[in-house]
Amino acid sequence: MADLPELIVSAAASGCIYALMALAYLLILRPTAIINFAVGEWAATGAFVGVAALTPLAWPRLEWPYAAALLVVLVVLGLLGWAVEVLTVRPLLRRRAAVISPILALLGVLVIFRESLTLIFGADPLPSPPPFGFARVAIGPFAGASQQFVIIAATLALFLAVWLFFERTVWGRAFEAVALNRRAAALMGINLGRVTAAAFAAGAMVAGLAGLLMSPLTSAHYTMGLPLAIQGFTALVIGGVGRVEGALLGGLVLAFAEQLGARYLPIPSGLTLGFPFVLLIIFLFFRPTGLIAARGAN
Amino acid sequence: MRRFYKPVLWLAGIAGASAIAFMLGNYATDVYRKMLIWIALALSFNFLFGIAGQVAFSHFAFAAIGAYAIVILSVKLSLPFGVAFVLAIILCTVLALVVAIPATRLEGFYLALATLAFAQLVTVVLNEGGDVTGGTGGIAGYRLPAVFGVTIRGPWYTVVLVLLVAFTLFILRRLDQSYFGRACRALRDNSPAAAAMGVDIARTKVIAFTVASALAGLAGIGYAYVDNVINPPVFGLENMFLLLFMVIVGGLGSPLGAIAGTVFLYLAPFLLEPLVGPGFLVVFGVLVVLTILFRPGGLAGLLSLVPARKPA
Amino acid sequence: MTAQPLIRAQGLTKRFGGLVAIEDVGFELYPGEILALIGPNGAGKTTVFNLLGGVFAPTAGSVAFAGERLDGMPVHHIAGRGLVRTFQHNMPFASLSLTDNILVGRHTRFTGTLFDILLGRARMRREEDDARRRAVELIGFVGLGERAGSDVSTLLFGEGRLLEVARALAGDPRAMLLDEPAAGLTPAEITRLVDLIRAIAARGIAVLLIEHDMHFLLPLAQRVVVLNFGRTIAQGTPLEITRNPAVVQAYLGEAASGFAQALSHA
Repeated sequence: MADLPELIVSAAASGCIYALMALAYLLILRPTAIINFAVGEWAATGAFVGVAALTPLAWPRLEWPYAAALLVVLVVLGLLGWAVEVLTVRPLLRRRAAVISPILALLGVLVIFRESLTLIFGADPLPSPPPFGFARVAIGPFAGASQQFVIIAATLALFLAVWLFFERTVWGRAFEAVALNRRAAALMGINLGRVTAAAFAAGAMVAGLAGLLMSPLTSAHYTMGLPLAIQGFTALVIGGVGRVEGALLGGLVLAFAEQLGARYLPIPSGLTLGFPFVLLIIFLFFRPTGLIAARGAN
Repeated sequence: MRRFYKPVLWLAGIAGASAIAFMLGNYATDVYRKMLIWIALALSFNFLFGIAGQVAFSHFAFAAIGAYAIVILSVKLSLPFGVAFVLAIILCTVLALVVAIPATRLEGFYLALATLAFAQLVTVVLNEGGDVTGGTGGIAGYRLPAVFGVTIRGPWYTVVLVLLVAFTLFILRRLDQSYFGRACRALRDNSPAAAAMGVDIARTKVIAFTVASALAGLAGIGYAYVDNVINPPVFGLENMFLLLFMVIVGGLGSPLGAIAGTVFLYLAPFLLEPLVGPGFLVVFGVLVVLTILFRPGGLAGLLSLVPARKPA
Repeated sequence: MTAQPLIRAQGLTKRFGGLVAIEDVGFELYPGEILALIGPNGAGKTTVFNLLGGVFAPTAGSVAFAGERLDGMPVHHIAGRGLVRTFQHNMPFASLSLTDNILVGRHTRFTGTLFDILLGRARMRREEDDARRRAVELIGFVGLGERAGSDVSTLLFGEGRLLEVARALAGDPRAMLLDEPAAGLTPAEITRLVDLIRAIAARGIAVLLIEHDMHFLLPLAQRVVVLNFGRTIAQGTPLEITRNPAVVQAYLGEAASGFAQALSHA
């Protein structure tokens, strides 16, 4: 029990990463009904681009200050997300293909990204430097690596910003309109193509940020994408796809269930790897709308 | 005369595919056998996904269940092979039913996610199975025991696999060309209309899922004796994606397309790797995207094995 | 007409939460009869169809089909009993051929089990051949003969409607529910449709139609049920209801007298 506060910090940090992944899904899912499994690979890309910008370990070996590297990651991911939308999703949407088509195409994109990362950065894990060093930090009884607190702070800040965006700004409202009814939104003059491209770019940036934030703790590795994709989607299902807050809640619920369960439940530690999947199945069957109900009809 | 045409074609195909087995050296035999397993899996997956429209990621999990079941039952529990075989098939079928009944109530991608979760759980169980499943290393060092006093080795085992593929194709074709196959396609195209025509949607989906998954289990049993080693990664998500790609590139809904797509994507790495090096899988990803964007009918559509169909 | 109605709806009521879609609706439909269901938008016509078709169960009341209670039965059972419906928007099976589309309509008449299919029993082959012959016949009957080999996605809207009808007929139904069959059709297509529906009724099949097009419907229907705000406000022959002041006020308006004249001279 003595390490419970540390466990809480650890779970909170993991939960924030899951929440960011869930947010990445949500940003794309709401206006398009497309589940983009490739967000996991986008997170991995964010991690690797971070390494390339911060260290001499990967081309182009920039060794730039953290703020600049963060900007590079966001810009690169934003462009990649936009490119993926324009090249692979837009033609299908324009053709009114069933939503399964872009979902499958994005699985192809997933493989393209993952293999490209292997080709460019190699198969070995690359360590990424945390912006505030490796020191341990304590806030009252809650102690953990500095990066864990960075993750929590960054995630909360981002969620707040996103929430404000949707609640208070005109663009956010346009986004919601498209989410609720594409046809009606188009008739009202909202440019669907732009919203969709922006959604993909935003989703990519959020995923890339998640990868960048977690890489100091786990290294950048080309296999990191798929587990993140699964955990992110589980968090999304738990939290509910309708609202931004749901993504945060889902991520935290998943992480706490995982880590507290692993620590305190009397089952072999290996089996706890199955937690996210058991939770996913339970929620898919018994509470598919998640913990937080969507706003408006769904 | 027409009545003789079909069986002759089947026999010729089986004979031809079997004859190849006797002409191959060790390495080529291994490649050929694995390709046959992939073809069997692609055929059953094509029925589930391409024809019945069920996006399921559990296919390799059922292959794993088949493979592990036969090995555990015949090697660890020392049951006679015939008994182990029957029990393994029954286990696959029952588990498929248990998964199918709740899973097919889910729509579209929720079904995909649930079956994905199931597949990952199976992997976890296999990895953590200790002595029973051999853990992450799996089980090795066994051989196909004598069946009815006959020991099957070498090219004759390849013939067994050819027969497995033929059997799978036969069953699926029969189903596809009956009112059941039409019902599967109808429910994929337009569920409410199919129900209004009297198609029991839930029951049809469950049957399709169970049959396809049981056939996957059968392929898994066949695989167990190819390398005489089974371990969890073989049945993991990587290969499941690859199977999905094979069926998409081959042309969803067409059995011959599925075979073409499988042969193409299975043999391609052997040609690509020397040329492109590692990461040739990029090409697969690109192929899938291109297929969905420009030629949704896949290879089958290109070769006009099926009439042009609307994009999925 | 036989003494026993094929469809008997009594006291049908459907509430969605606080909203009353229909209340205490009742009517009878006899074999070979053409009954029309009319009324303004939102009157509850589609709700009646959905109740008959098993999409949901009534809050109160009952539907009997050939004496058997239909309410609460799952959708796919109802087709098996001999009651089929077409939809307002064409719902073809896009990946199936024209003939196969129609064959799906015959789904409930195939008797083989899975094992019969796998063993390739002769009975299965016979049923299949029979069904195909019937499908070809139906293609001719509805007037799609020229398009027999076409891809379903190339059918014009009106031809798609005919496919809906052919598909519904494929299972040898005893009653058909046609949801706005004339909507979107050209005058020439409408004339064809009128002849087709008369031919269907002549085969002894009971037909229940929802329509808004009075020119199409009034000469065709033998009886009419008028709904407004979820309740029946009139039932009778077309001539009777065009002269019914409540119907005129609620729905037909000034055109009513014109229809009445046309009908009495028909």
